[in-house]
This record gives sequence, C-alpha cells and structure tokens, in this order.
Amino acid sequence: MSDTSGVQDKPKHLKHYFVDSDQQFEASKMGMWVFLVTEILFFGGLFAAYIVYRSWYPELYIQASTELDTFWGTVNTAVLIGSSLTVAMAIRSAQLNQIKGLITNLWITISLAFVFMVIKFFEYTHKFDKGILPGEYYTYEGLAHEKANIFFSIYYMMTGLHGIHVIIGIGLMLFLVYKAKKGVFSSEYYTPVEITGLYWHLVDVIWIFLFPLLYLID
Amino acid sequence: MATTDAPNIKRLQVRRFKPEESPKEHYLNAEKGLWSWLSTVDHKRIGLMYFGSIAFFFLFGGILALVLRTELLTPTQSFIEAETYNQIFTLHGAIMIFFFLVPSVPAALGNFILPLQLGAKDVAFPRLNLASFYIYTIGAIFTLIAIFTGGIDTGWTFYTPYSAETSSNVIMMTLGIFILGFSSILTGVNFIVTIHKMRAPGLTWNKLPLNIWALYATSIIQVLATPVLAITVLLLAMERMLGIGIFDPALGGDPVLYQHFFWFYSHPAVYIMIVPGFGVISEVISTFSRKTIFGYWAIALSSLAIAFIGFLVWGHHMFTAGQSSLASMVFSFLTFLVGIPTGIKIFNWLATMYKGSIDMKTPMLYAMVFLFLFTIGGFTGIMLGALVVDIHLHDTYYVVAHFHYVMMGGMVMAFLAGIHYWWPKMFGKMYNEFWAKIACGIIFIGFNMTFLPQFIMGAQGMPRRYYNYIDQFQPFHQFSTMGSYVLGVGFLIIAAYMIHSLLRGKEAGSNPWGSRALEWQTSSPAPHHNFEHTPVIINGPYDYHKPMSEFQLGIAHSHNGHHEGEKVDVETGTAQEKA
Amino acid sequence: MSGHHISSAKFLWGIGSALFFLTFITVAASWVHFPSPWNIVVAIGIASVKALIVVAFFMNLWWDSKFNSMLFVMSLIFFLLLIGITLLDTLFRVDPVPSF
Repeated sequence: MSDTSGVQDKPKHLKHYFVDSDQQFEASKMGMWVFLVTEILFFGGLFAAYIVYRSWYPELYIQASTELDTFWGTVNTAVLIGSSLTVAMAIRSAQLNQIKGLITNLWITISLAFVFMVIKFFEYTHKFDKGILPGEYYTYEGLAHEKANIFFSIYYMMTGLHGIHVIIGIGLMLFLVYKAKKGVFSSEYYTPVEITGLYWHLVDVIWIFLFPLLYLID
Repeated sequence: MATTDAPNIKRLQVRRFKPEESPKEHYLNAEKGLWSWLSTVDHKRIGLMYFGSIAFFFLFGGILALVLRTELLTPTQSFIEAETYNQIFTLHGAIMIFFFLVPSVPAALGNFILPLQLGAKDVAFPRLNLASFYIYTIGAIFTLIAIFTGGIDTGWTFYTPYSAETSSNVIMMTLGIFILGFSSILTGVNFIVTIHKMRAPGLTWNKLPLNIWALYATSIIQVLATPVLAITVLLLAMERMLGIGIFDPALGGDPVLYQHFFWFYSHPAVYIMIVPGFGVISEVISTFSRKTIFGYWAIALSSLAIAFIGFLVWGHHMFTAGQSSLASMVFSFLTFLVGIPTGIKIFNWLATMYKGSIDMKTPMLYAMVFLFLFTIGGFTGIMLGALVVDIHLHDTYYVVAHFHYVMMGGMVMAFLAGIHYWWPKMFGKMYNEFWAKIACGIIFIGFNMTFLPQFIMGAQGMPRRYYNYIDQFQPFHQFSTMGSYVLGVGFLIIAAYMIHSLLRGKEAGSNPWGSRALEWQTSSPAPHHNFEHTPVIINGPYDYHKPMSEFQLGIAHSHNGHHEGEKVDVETGTAQEKA
Repeated sequence: MSGHHISSAKFLWGIGSALFFLTFITVAASWVHFPSPWNIVVAIGIASVKALIVVAFFMNLWWDSKFNSMLFVMSLIFFLLLIGITLLDTLFRVDPVPSF
C-alpha cells in the first residue's frame, strides 16, 4: 500500500478539500437542493399574496381569468414538461458518457424554453395592446370589477418572475453546451449538468402550479 | 479486499500530531499581495474580510447612534432637522441589522471557525463563499448610494404605505437589501452542506461542538426566511415603480400584508442574529469552566427548536397593526413558547459553570455580561409578548430598550466574547488582558446607563422614533446619552488594544486557553489548509476529563492531500484503505 | 460510481407521457364545474400529483439521499405555515365594533 494514496491519478475535477468524487457530487447536489428550498420560499411569498387576494375577491379572479388564453397556457405547460423530459434525457446522456447526446438534448431543452418565452411574449403584448398593464398603468375597460388590476398585477409578478427564471435557465444551459463542447463533461463528472437540471425541473414545477391557478379559474 | 468483519468498518492508523508552535508559514502569509486577498477562496481570509467590513459598518452605525442620542439631549430640536433625524434612525437600524448583526457571527466568525471545528480543509463551496462576500459588498455599495442620493426616512422596517409614497430613495435601498439577502442565503447553503458532508473521521453528530449546532440552526433559518424578505422588498419596489397596489387599500390591497411578509423574515432574522451568539457562549463557558457542557443535547436541540418556533411568532410585531384578534392571540401564545428553549440554554450554561474551575479571562467576562444582559432582554421580550401589555408598550422606548438588550447586550457581547476567544487563532497574537477587562467593564456600565432608563421611559409612554418629547423625559434621555458616550469610549479602547495586538502583541501559543476543541489542536495562526494532517475525533469537544493527547489524533500516513513530495514521519505501519 | 441512479430512456418517456396526460386532465377538470371550494382542491390536487412526479422521478428524489427529500418537505411545511398563519389574520378580520 503506497503512501501517496493514489495522488497521481486524482481526477481533474476533484477539488482538494473533498476526499473523493462521490463526496463532491453529493455535496453539490445537496447544495442545489438547499438553494431550491430558497426558491420555493421566494415564489411562496407571491403564492401567499395570490391566496390572500383570491380569498378577498373570488369573483374578480373568476372574471379576470377569462382574459388569459387557456389554449396557449396549455401549450406552454406542455412545452415546459417537454423541456423537463429533454433535460432529464440530457443528464442520462452525460451519465452514459454520450456527450453528443448530451449536447443535442441540451439544445432541444433550450429551444423549448425559447418557445415558452416567445409564447409568453405574444401573450404579454396582446394584453398590453388591450391596456392590461400592471399596477397604475392599467387602462382596460373590459372587466366590470373595479379592482381588476389587482389580479393582473399578481399575474404579471408571478409569470414575470417565472419568466426571468426561465431566461436564467436558458443562460445556464447555453453555458453547459459550451462546456460540453470543450469536453469538460463525462460519465465521471457531470455535476453541473445534474444541478442545472434540478434547477430547471423546479422552474417547471412552479409553472405546473401557476397554470391552473391563473389560467383555469372557471 | 474481502474480510469477514462487518462490511463497512474502515480501519485507520492514527497517531498524535502536536500542533506546531510559532509556525513560520500560516494562512496569513501563505500567499502575498492584495490580489491574493481579493481573490482568495480560503475561508479564513474571507472571514477576516467580512470581519473588517462589519467592523466598518458597526463604526458607521454607532456614530449614527451617537448623533441620534446627542440630538435627544434636549426636548426640542438641538441641531438636526426632523427629516434628517428620520433618515438617521432609519440608517442606524438598517445598517446595524443588515450589515452588521446578520452577517456578524455567521459570516465573520463562522466562516473562519466552522471548517476548523469540523476538521475540514475548507467549506464545501469556497468559490461560492467568496462570491457571497462580494455580493455582500455590492449590496453595501447600493445601500451607501441610497444614503448619499436622497437617503431613506421610512424606518428600517419600510412599512407601507409611507414607503410606497415617500420621495426618498427606497428603491435603491431595497435593491441593496435584496442583493445582500443572496449573500446570507449562499452562506447558509455553504454551511449546511459543509456540516453534513465534510466532517473529519469520527466526528459524529453527537460530538459536534455546540457552536456548529448553532451555526447549523442559523443556516436553516437563513435559507428559509431570507427568500421571503427578498420577495417582500421586490414587491415594495414594484409597488413604487409600477403602482401595483398590492399594499394599497385604495386599489384593493392591504398594508398589513406587507407587515406579514416583512416580519415573516425579520422575526426569524433576530434568531439569525442571536443563535450563533449562543454557540459562541457555549464554547466560551465550557472552555473557561474547564468542564463538560451540561445538557449537550438540550442545548443542541434547543437551537433547532428556536429556529422552528421562531418562524411562528412574527405577528407579535403587529399587535396594534390591525390584524385579527384571533391571529394576535395565537401569536401571543406562540411567543411565550419561543422563550422556553432559550431559557433552557441559560440554565444549562449556569449548570456548566457550577463546580467548574472558572478562569475569568476576557472571553469569559463577556460571557458573564452576556448572561446578565441577555436575560434582561429576553424577559422583557416575553413581557412584550403579552398581548394586552404590548398594546400599551408597542412603539415606545420599552421596545427599543428590549431589542438593544438582546441584540447589543446579547449578540454584540457574545460577538466580542468570540472575537476575544478566537483572536489568538486568527492572528497568532494575544491582546492586553488588563485593558480588555477594563473595556469590558466600561462597556457594561455604559450599556446599562444607556438602555436601562429607556425601559422606564417607555413604560411611561415615551414613543420611539420621535425627535421631540415632553419635558418629563429629559433626565432619562440625558442619562441615556451620557451612557452612550461611555459605550463609545469602551469600543474605542477595544479598537486600540486590538490594533496594538496586531502590531506588537505577544505571540500566542496554539492553545492559550487549554481548550479541548478541535480548532485549538492546530497552530496559531492556523495553517493554510487548516491542519497538516486529517484529524480523527474520538472524544466530544468538551471532555476535559480526557488528556489533551486524545484530541490531537490524525490519520497516520496522510499528508492531508498536500506536500505529497515530502516524506511523512510515520511511526507505525500503514493504513488499510476502504474495502 | 455509487449513488448515481440512471433511469432508462423508456422510463423517462413514460414519466413525460404521464405528465402530458395529467395536463390534459387538468384542463378537462376545469370544464367540469365543481362547487367552490372543491374546484380549487381538485386543481391543486392534480397539480400536486404532477409536481410530485417531477420531483420524485425527474429530480430523482425517489433514489436520492433521504435528507434531500427532507429539505423539500421542509420547504413545503414552511410555505404552508406562511400561508396558514397569514390567513389566520386576513380571513378573520372583523369590522371595528362601535365603542360601548
């Protein structure tokens, strides 16, 4: 048994303060889960505001929700779920050392995310044209309720913040593609792909709740 | 290799590693130059950079306090305009809370000591750690910009509707706080993962130092509460920029909802501020009583209990705000509950000292001061938690006195105890014990002079945040202001002898206090990678009945992953690797 | 490497299909008029099932360390506390009584 304890063949990605790759991977995963906890609480505040106002103005929510296009909301939900599937496939590719598959799946995920944002863009501009703007800029006359802007303020805050998270996710995945092309990832080391995937799935989960709460109030 | 033993037993050959005295190379001189500090990922250096920053903000916030107290010498205007007074107390609060107290023990002391106490080489994510520091700095810069471009006059609580309408620079300030929140969150993430994943061999959960338990509980609170602050300030900014109306009754909103969101963070925030202090006190009292801590699990679990129950009591800041009676009653009841784990700690510390061999050095002196002042602060908190009493005392000086007793008399005293305790480990130097004790005495006297009269004033009806008052309160205010100057003198003395210590202090040994804790089993100042060996733990950190040699064990053959070229002097055999 | 669960492609597509199907159910359920508050219960219920499927089988919590699951559960608990106790206030406000 040598004294040098395999120092020569230490993998490049292994940091000196970790004992082995597994410890490093598990630590990174745990760290991302702790961060996701903070994201849940962050959006949680907005959900709390939604709930308080829905309990005070239930008819407003029912009326205002008709302004949201259920069809495109459903499409967007399917798009995000699809992107979750492809990012899970991307991780699988990395685990099996199929770097080309990894890059392909990442590109598909990015494209789907992009589609989501495009649909959102059209939804927003359509509303802006009608005068449905957040807060004090609201000028739409089409809803009888006098507090109508409250619903849309919450709508814009929640979907807007969610959209920002989608854009950040796109940025992260573009970075992953760049690194993957440089050959950084393999079945031995794909931690950034794994933790970016976790982030992306949470973005999907938040939309899974946003969709019925905003679009499907009958 | 196959054995017939129980499958997962790893055999380690250990030997004693006595810490090197007067090390020539340590973390302070391992890398040289300004850039090596600005780009460091060494948790010890990051801790020191935080320490410098929070010292700066404490000075700034303290000067603001002295200005306030000076204005309050006379019942009418002395030398400040009313609007300026509003800005000064807002800043004093915001700076002291967000830029001093919340980061103080976790980021400054915690960053330094946590990996040392765990026997790790660094935290789990050192680059993230550095990023946390820079995020703190950027948040601070935004805040300073806010101060110098219009200031803010809403009180540190930024209550709506005033904060949504005032012309002062609320958006810049809330942006600064939003950014700062990330620093807090990322530090919490780092600590949680480090504690779970990077403990030295043998360091099971029941042998963890109580300081680690405290930092663990604090990190949990940071991670769960700070995001809600983030969304709150974001909503406030949107309210101002877009007129969203979420907190505006004219638009169907509710200003009390702002308070719910704000206090959902800010109440647990006070536990972020104090629980690390509890951890420091556990370490100091045990070391200077040379005795095992009494009730280890009671103290450890009470930190977690405080973390949890602390999330359930935020409405006690809102008894007079217009929330429902039902909610007020529930919050009042839960507030009484949160005092119980804290009380448990106090009794355990006292029991630790009983029949111990007390060594009244400066850290212990500060711990005694803490026990006295924090108990007063804690009791008065329970008094304020009584719903009907609070109706009378809310927004009076009674509240001001209460939170200064817990935050300053509690947390700052614990922080000073920690600084004086770990100073030799940080810098390898001792400070002048005589002047340290003098300063402690002056601070104790000055503190009580400042804040004890405020309880009486408050009970008699003196409102907080007022810069004019009726004549009957003048003697109290004047006495309080005198006290604040005494306090200032005390802190100046501390600064003086600490600077002297850095320049000309006596060299400290690796373990000047004779502690059994792991951080003292390595040299002072600490080595670049904390230990020259991988430590192995077989005893708890407070087992003073065991010989010192049992606390200095390490894996026999390892270089701790560094200096692989050097030959290690191993007395016996070789290690068997994992089967 | 230990601790790295690799799902088969078939499995992942199966989960994806289940999620698409549940999305269809979500929309279909909104066409049925449940009396309030059951409409909210149904909507949140289906969304929760979808979310749990993503969390367990896409985010791999099913095969992961129990601590990570506990982190997730804890975040939900505190989220519910935030909402629940706030509602204790906002749902129970009464108009001020005239002075006696």
